[in-house]
Parts: sequence; C-alpha cells; structure tokens
Amino acid sequence: MIRDSQLFQPFNDEPISLIGETGAWEGPFDLDLDPAALRGMYHDLVVGRLMDERLSRLQRQGKVSFVAPSAGHEGAQVGLAHALERGRDWLFPYYRDTSLLLAFGLPQVEMLAQAMATRADPNRGRQMPSHNGSKDLNIFTIASPIASHVAPAVGAAISMKVQGTGQVAVASFGEGATSEGDFHAALNFAGAQGAPVVFFCENNRYAISVDYNHQTGADSIAAKAHAYGMPGYTVDGMDVLASYYVMREVIERVRNGLGPVLVETLVYRFGPHSSADDDSRYRPREEVEAWKRRDPLLRFRRFLEKQGLWDDAAEAHLRAEVEASLQAATAEAEAAGPIPVEWMFDDVFAQRLPHLEEQRHDLLD
Amino acid sequence: MADAPDTRPMTLVQAVNDALDVALSQDPRVLLFGEDVGMGGVFRVSDGLQGKHGEARVFDTPLAEAGIVGYGIGLALAGMRPVAEIQFAGFLYPALDQVLSHLGRYRHRTRGRFTVPMVIRAPYGGGVHTPEQHADSPEAVLTQAPGVKVVIPSDPMRAKGLLLAAIEDPDPVFFLEAIKLYRSVKAEVPSGHYTLELGRARVARAGDAATLVTYGGMVEVCLKAAEVAAREGVELEVIDLETLAPFDAATVMASVEKTGRAVVVYEARKIGGFGAEVAARIAEETVWSLQAPVLRVAGWDAPYPPFSAIEHHYRPDARRVLEAVRKVLAA
Repeated sequence: MIRDSQLFQPFNDEPISLIGETGAWEGPFDLDLDPAALRGMYHDLVVGRLMDERLSRLQRQGKVSFVAPSAGHEGAQVGLAHALERGRDWLFPYYRDTSLLLAFGLPQVEMLAQAMATRADPNRGRQMPSHNGSKDLNIFTIASPIASHVAPAVGAAISMKVQGTGQVAVASFGEGATSEGDFHAALNFAGAQGAPVVFFCENNRYAISVDYNHQTGADSIAAKAHAYGMPGYTVDGMDVLASYYVMREVIERVRNGLGPVLVETLVYRFGPHSSADDDSRYRPREEVEAWKRRDPLLRFRRFLEKQGLWDDAAEAHLRAEVEASLQAATAEAEAAGPIPVEWMFDDVFAQRLPHLEEQRHDLLD
Repeated sequence: MADAPDTRPMTLVQAVNDALDVALSQDPRVLLFGEDVGMGGVFRVSDGLQGKHGEARVFDTPLAEAGIVGYGIGLALAGMRPVAEIQFAGFLYPALDQVLSHLGRYRHRTRGRFTVPMVIRAPYGGGVHTPEQHADSPEAVLTQAPGVKVVIPSDPMRAKGLLLAAIEDPDPVFFLEAIKLYRSVKAEVPSGHYTLELGRARVARAGDAATLVTYGGMVEVCLKAAEVAAREGVELEVIDLETLAPFDAATVMASVEKTGRAVVVYEARKIGGFGAEVAARIAEETVWSLQAPVLRVAGWDAPYPPFSAIEHHYRPDARRVLEAVRKVLAA
C-alpha cells in the first residue's frame, strides 16, 4: 500500500502531476487503481463535460436562465469526488462544480430540474441554476456571494469533530474567493481550532475578467496556507489522477485528526464566466486554445489508451450512453412541469405565519 | 412556569446568564461562543459558564464576526444548537453577508431539508456612554432578512423565557439585549426552565388615551412617560413588541383601534427604522380608527454621538415621548 508514508510534500514549487501530456504515467509510485475504477473516473469526466454542454444549449434555447460553465475544471473535480466518501463526507461547493456534484452522486435529473425550475427539483426552484445542493448527499446549497460558504464548512467540520464522526468537510472555490474577508476568517478559524476541513481552490486564473496577477501578490494560492498553520499543495488540476491521489492523501490526513489543509488545483475555464459573459473581451484566443490542448479529458483518454483500457469504439459507446442518459433526464425534468408561484411562500419559517399566508392570498387573488 | 415556582431577583445580565446555563445543562448540542466569551464576555453575560460547562462547549473564537456567524451556520447545519455572541450589535456588519446570504434563506432554499436553529445574541442601543457604534441599533436591517426572527426583551424575567424559547426555536433568531437594561433593573426571575412564546406582543400597561408602541430599551422610557401622563389623568397604553420579526400586528391594531392615537418609539435612526414599518402597518390597517397622525419618536438621522456630553440628546426620553403624546392628543 502507498498509504504507509506521505507521497506528497506541501509548499511544492512545481505543481504535482502524475500523467504526462502524452498520457504516460509519470508518478513516483505504482498505480493502485483497478481498470474499473479508472474507467469510472473517465465516465465521470465525460458526464461532466456533456452535462456542461447540454446546460449551455438549454440556456441558448431559453429553457435555463443562467449557466456557469465548468469545462476545463473536470480533472480537479472528479479526482476530488473519487477521493471522498459519498454520503458520509460533506461538500461545500461553489457554482462551477458541475462535474464534482455529479461525480459525488447528485442525480442528473435533479441538476437539470433545478436548472429549468421544474417540479422535479427537490429544492422547488428556490436556487438559481448551477447553485445545487442536496440534504441526502451532505451537499451545502450554494449561494452566489463569493466565499460565503467557507466559514460554514469550518463550522460543520467542528460539529463533526465534536461528535467524533470521522467525517471530513471540503469547501471548493475559485482563486477570486481567496481575496474575500470571509475566506480569511474561515481559514483562520480552521487553523486555530484544528477543524477536519479541506479547502479546495480551483484556480482558473480569472475571476470573471480579473486575472490572477490583479487578484493577489502571492506566488501561489497554496502559499497562503502557511500563515494559517496548515499545509498547502499545488496540483495540476488538468490531471485527474494527480487530483485524486493528492486528495486521497490529504483527506486521510484530515480524517485522522491532523487538522485542515489547503489544496490549490491549477485549471482553466474553457468557456466564459457565465452565460452572461463574453470572455473574448479579456482573454486572448491563443491562450484559450493553448489550454484546450491540455484538456483533462484528452489527457486521461491518452493515459487509458496507453494502459490498453480504451479505444475509439469504447469512446463512441460511452458518449452515446451518456448522451442517452442525459436526454432521458432532461425529458423527465421537463415533463414535471414548471413550479407554481405560490411555492415561494413555503418554508420561510418552520411554521406557516399569518403575514406570509396573507401575502400568498394577495398574490393569488 | 408551573414547574418552576421559585424566583430570585436578577438583573438582565444575570437572567441571560441563567438562561444560557439552563440551555447548556439541558441540551448537549448547545454551544456558546464568541469573542471573549470564555472569560465571561465584556458585559460578563457568560460569567462562570466555561468553568461549569467546559471549554468544549463555551469558548472563545478568533476575532472575526463573519467567521463567528458563518461558522455557527455550519455548526447548526451539522446538528448543533449554536448560540453565538457578537460583542456589540454595531460590530455585526462584517457578518451581514452571512446573515443575508445564508442564515435566513437556508430553510427556504432547501425546502426545509437543511435548517439553521441558531441564536445570535448581541448587546444593542445606547444610554450607558458606550460610544458611537457601541450604541448602534441595527434591528431594522435584521428584520429585512427573510426567515430570521428578531427578539428584543425589555426586562429580566422576559429575557430569560424568550432566550430559552429562541434557543429551542427551529429557525435562526437574533436576540438583542438593550445595554441600558443590563444592570439598571432587578426583577424577580423564576429559576429553572421556562419559555415565553416568540412572535407575541404584550400590553405592558393598559390605557385608553393613546397607544405607545415600542420595544427593548425604550419600554422603560415609555412606561415612565405613561406614569407622568397618568398624574395628569391621561392613561396611555404601552405595547411591548418583544418580537419584531415576525411582527404581531394584531395586538398593535387592537390597541390603536381602541385609543385612536399612536406614537411609535424606538432608538434607532428614524428613517427606515422598525417604527416606520409599525407606522405604515397602522396606516394600512386601522387608518379609519385614527383621530391623529401616527407620530414617531426615534434617534436622529445622524450617527450615535461618540461623546457622553451630548449622548442623552440622541436617545429618546420620556420628555420627547410626552411631547409627541401632547401633539396626538391635541389633534
């Protein structure tokens, strides 16, 4: 087993990478994942990418009001999802985590129903698209204000520590979030109290149009961990296995009570910030094209081919299967029909209060 | 209160301390935290509680209000009953993102699957020479957060019962404690556990000439004004709202329909203060009973003075309340 010793050193200068651009395994240890697990990761990468494309199509068709595309982030996200214990650990995600949520178990129909605000959405259309959550899966429901979920992740982690459950909380966010005061407050709390929490930064170099060098004077996001008394790692987020192995080691460390960790994954957002953004105004096309050549799906597919686990037929089969599944989920979500407006007044408080009932009545009259 | 017949004289500080002690004793999920809470807090509200209940349940946090509230939200989501202290209500502002983005929206956002049964206590208001922001009254801002309850007690006995009800409530509750009342009054407080219902206003003094609608630290000011008026044969009714959100409009309207005259008294800035909501509701619901315009007596629309030499001119007193009463009676 590789778990006997620490494989990765914090505050590394070069990002941790295990698969080369050609798909060759370059890890300093033997791979210990079986073919089914490796194919499962690729499946989740493809599901995330195709869901992302589908949500953008639905947005252009006017069926979805807003999308935060996450293509380019899949490697980091799927690696994280596979390192967590589904249904046990807690996720505090942000709005660019499509692949993470799906790979952690969020049903496709729930994501689509929420995006289209239909009756099939368990949260009754009360959250904007790309802001999912799930009580069943311990997924904190996302809010747009940047970094506002990071301190709640620390509180939840302390609750788990107090109750001795051995669970781990993970908060994910972009590099822009690290500028917020709430981010500092949260990491400082976690360091001071030894919270079982992992801070997972998806550094795609742009907070809408503001680039990394205008966001921070720090050499890396991981370097910020030092000041909070926790280790910080920088990982090649276009490499799903690098994300998986680093997160596996980090989560085990946190689960064993050794305190919080900050992990920075270097990724790139292939699309605009959101469906309301035109990224050609601030990002040179050559830069986008150069990053697309490092596509996490392509790199992992090359790896699988080199391992003798993948070929064109398998690819065609998988894509057809995933598209069929997404098509069926879309149809199911749409068929449920739009949410009724009077649902707006439910669940404001535990009790139904007279003034809200009056307002419901006023609206429907 | 049937099971707790014994009473002891207590200040509001002691009554809140007693309520926290009862809550910590009866429910292991209750955690008490904030800045300097371990040593008792700057107003000594949590005195002795860390020694009795241990550092795991009564503890200091780093100095970050956004962290305190955000962290508490996470604790509540994952099964605890957090009671957070913000040192002064005027220091709450860094945490408003947590309050407005998460605290009160969580139940609605998740269709009641996740809830935030959390209490945030904070001293508020002026009257004891705590300068400027240490004397702020931001309650109206908090009533604008959907899904959040706002409770402001006016005496020790009610403070204890309302705080225990707040801690047991399934929804997030702001519990604001008037600094002026912390040590100025002693009253009999039942020992042990009892609760008072949230969301109910009460008639603090019955009368028929005009209605004073108020809450928190202004209740004693209005009662004093009512005493003075009574000497001149004018009986004022004083309504203590106790809970601002949800607002018990029915009790207020019943009184105004009876007296036909209303003065709303609060110490926050006049513009957009919670008294403006009360006045608007009176106009919406009982305008035909009114025999005079609804008046407000409030803090001025300037920051609370940082110097005690002029502080007493800011906070409404019985004299200003009575001036307004004379106007509505003359109308």
